[in-house]
Amino acid sequence: MQRGLDSRLKVSFCGIELNSPVILLSGCVGFGEEYTRIKGFSNRDAGAICLKGTTGTARLGNPSHRLAEASSGIINAIGLQNPGVEAVIDDILPTLDFTETRFFANVSGSTVEEYIDVVRRFDDSSVHAIEINISCPNVKEGGAAFGNDPDMSARVVGACRAVTGKPIITKLSPNQTDIAESARRCIEAGTNGLAVINTLMGMAVDARSQVPIIGSVQGGLSGPAIKPIALLKVYEVYQVAKEHNIPIIGQGGIASASDAVEFLLVGAATVGVGTALFYDPMICKQINSGLVEYMDSMGIESIAALTGTLKLSGSVSGCDDRP
Amino acid sequence: MAHLKHPDSRSTIHMEDSIVISHHHYDDRQHVLRLHCPQCASHAVHGQFVHLQCDRSLLLRRPFSIMRARPDEGWIDLLYKEVGQGTMLLAKQAEGSVLNLLGSIGNPFILHEDKPIRILIGGGVGIPPMIFVAETIRQQYPSDTDMTYAFMGSEISFPFTVLNSELPVPGVTAHHAIEDMENISIPSRLASLRYLTGCYRGHVTELAEKFLQTLSPERLQIAEIFSCGPRPMLYATKRLAMKYNIDCQISMEEYMACATGGCAGCNVKITGPDGPAMKRVCVDGPVFDASLVEL
Repeated sequence: MQRGLDSRLKVSFCGIELNSPVILLSGCVGFGEEYTRIKGFSNRDAGAICLKGTTGTARLGNPSHRLAEASSGIINAIGLQNPGVEAVIDDILPTLDFTETRFFANVSGSTVEEYIDVVRRFDDSSVHAIEINISCPNVKEGGAAFGNDPDMSARVVGACRAVTGKPIITKLSPNQTDIAESARRCIEAGTNGLAVINTLMGMAVDARSQVPIIGSVQGGLSGPAIKPIALLKVYEVYQVAKEHNIPIIGQGGIASASDAVEFLLVGAATVGVGTALFYDPMICKQINSGLVEYMDSMGIESIAALTGTLKLSGSVSGCDDRP
Repeated sequence: MAHLKHPDSRSTIHMEDSIVISHHHYDDRQHVLRLHCPQCASHAVHGQFVHLQCDRSLLLRRPFSIMRARPDEGWIDLLYKEVGQGTMLLAKQAEGSVLNLLGSIGNPFILHEDKPIRILIGGGVGIPPMIFVAETIRQQYPSDTDMTYAFMGSEISFPFTVLNSELPVPGVTAHHAIEDMENISIPSRLASLRYLTGCYRGHVTELAEKFLQTLSPERLQIAEIFSCGPRPMLYATKRLAMKYNIDCQISMEEYMACATGGCAGCNVKITGPDGPAMKRVCVDGPVFDASLVEL
C-alpha cells in the first residue's frame, strides 16, 4: 500500500494544491509516463509534472547528437520534438493518471499565433496549468527569441492570457540582461506563476575531431553547474514577484533537499527537478524525505513557510549599501 | 471515474546497486566487467543494455550492451573499451565496488521463425550483444548447428580467447574463431584491417559477404542479419543486406541521458511508411530494422 507524502510538504501553487513542492520539469520526463518504467519510481512523489514542450503541429526536433556532458552539467539540444497539440490532447492526456499527480502542459511556438492556438486547445483539456515556454534556446524561431525581449514576452503572455482561464506559468530565460524586468512585464501581462530558469546557452567541442558535439552546434546547459546562477535569478525575480503574490518554480541544478531549501529561501514556492533525474531517478523521494528531515530539525511546520525567508542581515554585505 | 489502466511499460526497468564481481583487463584498454545484479540479470534478454553509474563523480550514466546474463547466478557481463571520461573512470573500479545501474533496457533482437539462417556481424564493442544473441539462439534452437554464423571485426586485439576453428564456414578460408562461439557450436570468423594471424584481412562486412556468396537464392530468402558496431560498419552491413535482399536488424548507439524515454536525447532518424521520425534509441530501440535507419 502506497503511503502518502508528509502533509507538511503540501503547497498551493497558482491556486493548485500540490502534495509536494517538487515538480518534474518539462523535457526530462517525456509525456509523464516514461519514468514509471523504473520500478519504485512513482509519479505520486512529484507535486506536479510538466509535460514535454508542445507545439501546434508535430516537430521532428534536432538531428543527433542532442546531448553532451559538461563539467557538472549537460548540454542538450532536443529541439522541441513533439507529436503536436492534437495528438497530445487526444492520445496522451487520456492515458495519464491524474489521481497520482498534477500535470502541467508546456507550450511553445514559432509565432504568437501558434502559442495562442496551442494554449486555447489546452484550455479545453484536463491539464491543471499551462506553462508558456518563451525561453527554449534550441529552436530557431520563437522560444528564446521571444523570451529575451521583455516586450515580446509580455505580448506572448498577454495573448495566451486572453484565451485561457487555466493558470499560466511563464518560463523565463536566463540568457537576458534583466530577468526581473522581464518577470515584471509577464506579471503585468497576466501570468499566474513564473518558472526560473530555463537552460543557459552553451556549446561543446570535440578537440580530436574538431567538430561541435551537438548536431545543431549549440544547446542549453543544465545541471549543478548552473545552480548558483539559477539561485540568483530566482532571488532577483522574487523581489518583483512577491509584490504581486506570483509564485515561482525555482529550477536549475537542484540535486538534493539542501539545494531545494536554498531555492525556497531565495523565493521559490516550488522546486523543479530535471537533470538530477538522469543520475538518480529516485531524486523526488530523496528530496521529499530530506525536506521533511529539514522541517523536523528546524522546527518548521510547513514547507510553504520557507519561501523567501532568506536571512540577509547576517550575510556578508555585497555591493549594496543597505540601510 | 473508471479505473485507468496503467501502461504495461511500468516497472519494467530495475534500479539496483550492482557489485563488481570481477573486472578483467585486456590489451588496448578493453575490459570485461562482471556485475552482481540479480534483478537485472533475471530480466535481461539479448540486445538489451544497462545504464550504469561508472563513477559517483559523473552526472550522466553510460549505456552498455549486455554481453551475457546468468539469472541463476545473478550476474551480467559487459565488455567495454575506454573511450572517454566515463569508461576511463569505470576501468578503475575494483572488485567489490558498488555501481548503481538501471536495467535491463530496450527492445531485443527478434529471432524470426521463418528466418532460421542467422548471420551475426559485430564490430569492436558491438561484439557483446552478438554473443548474447548467439547464446540465445543456441538455447532456443539447440539442434540447428549449421544455421547461425558469426563474423567479428576489430582493429585492436580481440578481448577473447581466439583459437583455430573446427567448425567450417563456407566461402571463408580464415580459420580463427572466438572460443565463446566455438563452445556453443556457432561457427565464427574474425576480420581486421591489421595483419592478425588467422583473421581475414579486411572489413568484417567483406568477410560476411564471402559467406553470403555461397548461399543459394532459396537460402538467402530465409536468412537474416543481426548486427552491432560502429556506424560505418552498420552502414556497410545495411548495404550488404540490401545487396542480397535479406532482412537486417541493427543495434544503435547514441549519447544518452535518461534511458527511460523521458529526455529524447538519444534519438536517431528513422524513416518508416509514415515518413521520417526521430526514435529513442533507449526504449524504441536499441534494435531497429536497418532498412528504416538513416546511417
